[in-house]
Amino acid sequence: MSLENILENWSKYRKGHEEGGYHEYEHMWGMAIDLDKCTGCNACSVACYAENNLAVVGEEKFSKGQGMHWLRIERYWDEPDLGEDKVNEYQIHGASFIPMNCQHCNAATCEPVCPVAATYHTPDGLNAQVYNRCIGSRYCSNNCPYRLRYFNFFSYYEDSWPEPLQMQLNPDISVRDKGVMEKCTFCVQRIRTAKDDAARDDRRGPGAVKDGDLKTACQQSCATQAIFFGDLLDKDSAVSKVWEKHEVALGKSSQNKSNPDKRGYRVLEGLNTDPCVMFLERVREV
Amino acid sequence: MSTYKVKRRDFLKITGLTGASAALAACDMPTTVTLEEGEEEVVSYLMPEEYVIPGIGVWYASTCQQCDAGCGIIGRVREGRVLKLEGNPVSPINKGALCQIGQAALQVHYNPDRLKQPKLRQEGKLIDVTWDDAFAALKSSIGPDSGLDGSRIAWLTGTVSGHQRVLMDAVSEAVGGASHYAHETLNDTVVDKVNADVYGSANVQYKIADAQSILSFGADFLSTWGSPVHNSVQYGQFRDAPRGVLIQAEPKMTVTGGSADLWLPVRPGTEGTLAMTIAAELVASHGADATKLPKAMADQLGQYSLDSSEAQTGVAASLVKQAANFLATRAPSLVIAGGTAAAHEHGYEAVTAAAMLNVLLGNVGKTIIPVADFPYPALAPKKGDTAQLAAFAKKAKAGDISVALIAGTNPAYTAPDQLDMAAALSAVKVKVAFTEFLDETSSMADIVLPLHSDMESWGTHVASYQVADPMISLQQPLMEPLYAETRSLGDTLLDVLKLYNAEQYGPFADYYAYLRNVVSAVPAVAKEGASDEAYWQAGLQQGMLKVTAPKPFPAAIATAANDDASDALVKSADTMGFVLPVYEKNKDYPLSLIPAASSRLGDGRFANLPWLQEAPDAITKIVWNSWVEMHPATALYYGFKQGDFVEVASAEGSVKAQIYLHKGINKDAVAVPMGQGHTEYGRYATGRGVNPLKMLATTSDVQTGELALCATRVTVVSTGRNEELVKMGGSESQVGRKLVGTITADQLRRV
Amino acid sequence: MHTKDINENLPWSQINKDVMRSMMNPRKAYWVAIIVCIAMISCAVAAEVYQYNVGMGPANLNWPHMWDLYIATFIFWIGMSHPGTLLSAILHIIHADWRKPIYRFAEAMTTFSLMTAGLFPVIHIGRLWNMYWVLPYYSDRGIWPNFRSPLVWDAFAISTYLTSSALFLFIGMIPDLAICRDNTTGWRRKLYTILSLGWRGDDRQWRNFRRTYLLMACFLIPLAVSVHSIVSSDFAMSVMPGWHVTTFPPYFVAGALYSGCAAIMTLFICLRYFFRLEDYMTIPILVKTAKLTFAIAMVWTYLNLIEFASIWYGHNAVDKELLIAKFTGAYSPYFWMMLFIGSVVPFTLASEKLRTHLPTMLVVSLVLNLGMWLERWMIVTPTLSQGYHPFAFDVMWPSMIQWAIVFGSFGWFGLLFLIFVKVFPCVSMYEVKEMCYHRKREAMGVGHGSHAAGGAAGAVTASKTDLEGS
Repeated sequence: MSLENILENWSKYRKGHEEGGYHEYEHMWGMAIDLDKCTGCNACSVACYAENNLAVVGEEKFSKGQGMHWLRIERYWDEPDLGEDKVNEYQIHGASFIPMNCQHCNAATCEPVCPVAATYHTPDGLNAQVYNRCIGSRYCSNNCPYRLRYFNFFSYYEDSWPEPLQMQLNPDISVRDKGVMEKCTFCVQRIRTAKDDAARDDRRGPGAVKDGDLKTACQQSCATQAIFFGDLLDKDSAVSKVWEKHEVALGKSSQNKSNPDKRGYRVLEGLNTDPCVMFLERVREV
Repeated sequence: MSTYKVKRRDFLKITGLTGASAALAACDMPTTVTLEEGEEEVVSYLMPEEYVIPGIGVWYASTCQQCDAGCGIIGRVREGRVLKLEGNPVSPINKGALCQIGQAALQVHYNPDRLKQPKLRQEGKLIDVTWDDAFAALKSSIGPDSGLDGSRIAWLTGTVSGHQRVLMDAVSEAVGGASHYAHETLNDTVVDKVNADVYGSANVQYKIADAQSILSFGADFLSTWGSPVHNSVQYGQFRDAPRGVLIQAEPKMTVTGGSADLWLPVRPGTEGTLAMTIAAELVASHGADATKLPKAMADQLGQYSLDSSEAQTGVAASLVKQAANFLATRAPSLVIAGGTAAAHEHGYEAVTAAAMLNVLLGNVGKTIIPVADFPYPALAPKKGDTAQLAAFAKKAKAGDISVALIAGTNPAYTAPDQLDMAAALSAVKVKVAFTEFLDETSSMADIVLPLHSDMESWGTHVASYQVADPMISLQQPLMEPLYAETRSLGDTLLDVLKLYNAEQYGPFADYYAYLRNVVSAVPAVAKEGASDEAYWQAGLQQGMLKVTAPKPFPAAIATAANDDASDALVKSADTMGFVLPVYEKNKDYPLSLIPAASSRLGDGRFANLPWLQEAPDAITKIVWNSWVEMHPATALYYGFKQGDFVEVASAEGSVKAQIYLHKGINKDAVAVPMGQGHTEYGRYATGRGVNPLKMLATTSDVQTGELALCATRVTVVSTGRNEELVKMGGSESQVGRKLVGTITADQLRRV
Repeated sequence: MHTKDINENLPWSQINKDVMRSMMNPRKAYWVAIIVCIAMISCAVAAEVYQYNVGMGPANLNWPHMWDLYIATFIFWIGMSHPGTLLSAILHIIHADWRKPIYRFAEAMTTFSLMTAGLFPVIHIGRLWNMYWVLPYYSDRGIWPNFRSPLVWDAFAISTYLTSSALFLFIGMIPDLAICRDNTTGWRRKLYTILSLGWRGDDRQWRNFRRTYLLMACFLIPLAVSVHSIVSSDFAMSVMPGWHVTTFPPYFVAGALYSGCAAIMTLFICLRYFFRLEDYMTIPILVKTAKLTFAIAMVWTYLNLIEFASIWYGHNAVDKELLIAKFTGAYSPYFWMMLFIGSVVPFTLASEKLRTHLPTMLVVSLVLNLGMWLERWMIVTPTLSQGYHPFAFDVMWPSMIQWAIVFGSFGWFGLLFLIFVKVFPCVSMYEVKEMCYHRKREAMGVGHGSHAAGGAAGAVTASKTDLEGS
């Protein structure tokens, strides 16, 4: 019974995220997204639909806000209201796009509130969602400041994949039924495959998966290569280098920048959620 | 496995055993698991089908057929099913990336509305028949015994290339001189003509990555224009330090416009004026050498001042000045024109004016490189446009077409009502549709031949936009056909050809055998010492065949590229009496309609793919429906609110849709996206939204005769109904919270 | 008559008779009420069956409105459970004996509203067949609920409170059940014989009874306060603006007492009218309840002001924008209505003239309850509509499915209550007798009534004799 486990390993469990959490992390998967390169083309989002068996819900359900888009491209206008002068009456700086997928926060606000611990942190640093365990209290989604968790309001599979569309479904992961929460997994099935492959090569434990062993579906599809993904514990990984170059560090609620050209930031990091996804600011010439 | 109706043996019969083993070898991709590796770890099926290892996905290379950009793809095949498409990393076109439309090709293949059975029209209705019966009907229409004058047969297709085109041409020849009309609503006819006239070659390469500043007139090169994935790959490098600056001049913000540093809301049809104003500004303020331009144009520059331009184009003078400054100071620059800029009565002039900026800025040969035509003209793409469709319609209505062979195009949906395709098609006695879906056109056909999907058939293709050395893209089946009664277009064409020339085509069991033979026939020099089999297998592994150009780029073009005022250029500018139109107000129809090319649904052919229907539009974030984009100031003037149902009416027709307000559109324009409003295209597309193409005036570009898509003037009338738009997301702004951080380039230290 | 809480000269036999009468021979109106309640429940059951089969979608729950009326109404019913404890336990301890004629039905209200509230988490979760996973039952897989989750605290708090309040209600009824046992025949007699646990009314029993009752009261008070504090932590422990509010625990408790007191007034007036219990549920008692309600209303108003003020000077843009949105956005009519009802309407309770006018009080008490229900809705939904992430800003209105279930919950509560009043004495006979006894002694100048077990025991014994003698 795990009560003994809890009692015996109390010191391990009571550690907060600032001390590295209660895991001996094997990896800490993280992402960096360069908003100056993101064109908002939506290829990553469709790649996510294809890879992760996301349900297409149809117009009516979408209009009610019951769509399932683990990775959504948000578009903001600098100033949506009418400007006063000739220049500001148009969006002369284009639009602002940002792909938002689960931020895999190290101090995830969704994790402590789940009554059945269906969402938890894995030793890979992933914010995992255990569909089988989920009872659908939806508290996690309410407590996610980014609103990146999506709920199965219906048994979407019943009409999302009419014959033979269901043949496309990725057999590596499940199709979710009504009543469970779901969200971006950082393509955990690809991580597992990469780990298996690494184990086959006798690489196990921390750092087993090397940089470039896997790409997430979104990263793979990105033509402008705006998305970096990899192990933040591996100092040589491409994503770590981006984090380092732009002076973003884990475990902080604000970053001290030596220079404004360090474009890295994390969304709403002031809430101390410690996300594993960082963004590089969009640049505009004028 | 055995749930499929088509058994493995049929598959092998179709593809050929060699092909299958070759495909097997093709799994040796960088990202694959080979069979040898997998073998030890799997529990085999009781009766294992060859080359299928449960639980192991194998990636096979092929070519994306969703548009004519020809991106290389790899498809993950597991347990005999293709599960996911990704970009082929070795393809020079897309370098491993793939756009949303390309990824959704899977949903073409698995679409629940795909045709499973051939159909014949009997007593006015389409009746399911067997393939043999349908082919017999085709045979009696165009076979040697039909007794038909071959010139009364016409092909009506989309853009076709590769051996598909070769076989189509062969059929045309065999039947005795059939004509071939290719139709694409979104085409580059005008741009190609300008390129040929200005740069000496219709094929130019835009070196986006090499540029430091890009000015694009209406060309949505990141999403709907040219080779979008290739351009996006280049754009990624363009934004690397030292960071390039992108200026986009267009009446309605596109995906590319959304990424622009400076977005110029040019009034529809005045793109040329804006280009000339920038040219004048470059000459006046930045010391550009006007003598580089043809005299006819250089003389006109004086007419274009910043202030007069502002009144014409609606773009603030300060922004034009800024744009010119960027172009002058961030060399090398690149000016691209196309899309909405070319879609006017004087689109040719506008694109020419933009091309002149390249000349003025000395970009030709640096960031814009004219290249030779594809070395094998028989394989080169036959590019479609609407001018050819109009020609087809004219001929059909004159009663000169008895049999129309329709493939890869849907003119009954895309053609403006003014072209009256319904009358044209009904004047054709026998309409044969080679298609995967029953759409507006194929539902009018008399013989409907259901095709294999692109995931099921072989093919060779040549991309319309040549990104590097010439190459032939290879398409191979990624899985067994889903349905027994479908055939690939290549096989069918071969079957027709066998009727005429059994001696020549008889030896080929199928299209695969034909292609294999063709590759064998490639001269040894092109194979660079590889054996025939190795060459073929390498081709399958990479999804493309490298072909060595038999001749270098013509010397003349090479010279023209560096010679600023080439002979061709001078000739073109002088002969056409270069005149730019003045924007005219229209009292009855005050606004210009932009039938916007959709980054999701294209010209409507992807509307039956649920992923793309549910993918939000990049700019408006609207899903599943049509909308009318309008500037808030315009809406204020007419008294419209967001979500109002309005009727957009031209002299030729009208559509009703909801208004979406944003400041990314010129005040004198309204935009209605293409793609929706299908009356017959399966469950996901039918009866959804509106089709703006129907209400277009048949105004054409004067120089090329191509339909001017953006030349229609409309008025907008309220219907009094308001509903919430079905879109993703709530707030239109960040309300001061830092989600998308933005810094100015000044803050960005240049490395 | 209007000045005394109770007529101390009420004969004890009369008390027994009046109360027993209210339990017997239901009239036509009673059956109509029962049928209405069952009809309401049927609506809810139909909606829930549909929702169970299809999923949470038809309720119009969406991204980002993962919670809505189910949770709001859950809090509302939890709140309704509080004044029963207030009246029976808190006022018991502070010797406010005017509570005696009305605490029994208030306590019943506590239990039944908890039984209603407890349904909502079950209705609201996506996979209700797995509801028991929130409990730490023994599992070979060693899977425990997440003790950090306020929802798990809820499960503990509510089940504890429900058990305790039901026990408290039952224990407090034992002497009355003995009276019922002695005065009924047939199934009732059998039932009361079992339930009265062999109550004979001897001194030892009275002593034990008193101690148990006091102990339960002392146990229940912190429990009641903690239950609603824990429910408030569903919100206060989150990070969301409008939820992450330090004053939420007292605010919730105040709101709970507020709505509950208003509900007591409603039931008070109904019972008084339908069961003709004018001698017991007297106007002075109603006035006292009204004063109590008014005081709580002012506390609630104060806590509201504190919240607004601290958001204002706290200068957190996100919180502030949410508050502004509440005042001006899509939900503003309801928000203003809630503030008006919660803070202005209670001033009718301050008017001597109005608070003695029963029809007015009935309407006011119902309106106050509506206001308190709106309060819960305005806590839950606007935050979801406008949280941190602007892209997820939205406005959502509940569907008929939600309304039907909320509506049905009132029927469920009503049905339980209706059954209760016909099966159990809704006025505590022995305590009313105690009250009369003490008041009489007071009137005679004997001195302040003692709560000594012996005295009360004597009173009840006397009552029995009295009854036999008549």
